[in-house]
Amino acid sequence: MTLHIALVKIEEEKISSEKAKKFIASEKNGAESIFVGKVRNENDGKKVIAVTYEAHDQAVIKSFQSICNNAKDKFDKNAKIFLEHVKGYALVGEISILIAVGSGHRDEAFKICRYILEEVKQLSPIWKKEHYADGNEEWLPGHSLRPKKEVK
Amino acid sequence: MKIQLKLYASSKMLSDSDILKVELPNNSNIGDLRNVLSKIISEKNLKHLQNLPKTSAFFGELNEVIYDKYKLKDKEIISIIPPIGGG
Repeated sequence: MTLHIALVKIEEEKISSEKAKKFIASEKNGAESIFVGKVRNENDGKKVIAVTYEAHDQAVIKSFQSICNNAKDKFDKNAKIFLEHVKGYALVGEISILIAVGSGHRDEAFKICRYILEEVKQLSPIWKKEHYADGNEEWLPGHSLRPKKEVK
Repeated sequence: MKIQLKLYASSKMLSDSDILKVELPNNSNIGDLRNVLSKIISEKNLKHLQNLPKTSAFFGELNEVIYDKYKLKDKEIISIIPPIGGG
């Protein structure tokens, strides 16, 4: 198996970098690249205490499959890819996304990791609501999936 | 006819539940649905959602984008997809 993708309910499980490293390990690969995204404590001058991640589950899984398969086609068909994203209420410091790639060479490993991250942000229906220290909360603006030709 | 709209993220402010039932004239399409949602947002005075109908995409039952000319069917269940931003 060369691909692992999942949406992880944070109330039930945490994303584990050890699990990711184990998944991509292979003697055939000379490079491993790992990206870990975390909830940070500040945004736009506001003190953040947590972020709620919401997802359209089926569409997210479908998009993850497509993004990872495209990454393999584009950079390295033999790459091993691990991609998990959280869903639910994540406190500052918790992992929100983890991408791990095992590939023959460093260039492909770096490129696949970056490609997947940018594509997830552009294509996977996941939303973030920030919770602030002052008690307010806000859904963050994002990238519209509405076909461009329809927007006047 | 009546459709059911599954709500996500900021669009959840349109209803107390995760689904909004929307009444539409027969043969309505997604473009018509956008207009009805604008009206609902205006009636509920949800000013911060005024761009939602214009900026959102809609997913059909196969979890793929359906276009403005897509004809809706009675009792169809679709999803509104406000602008996204995971990671």
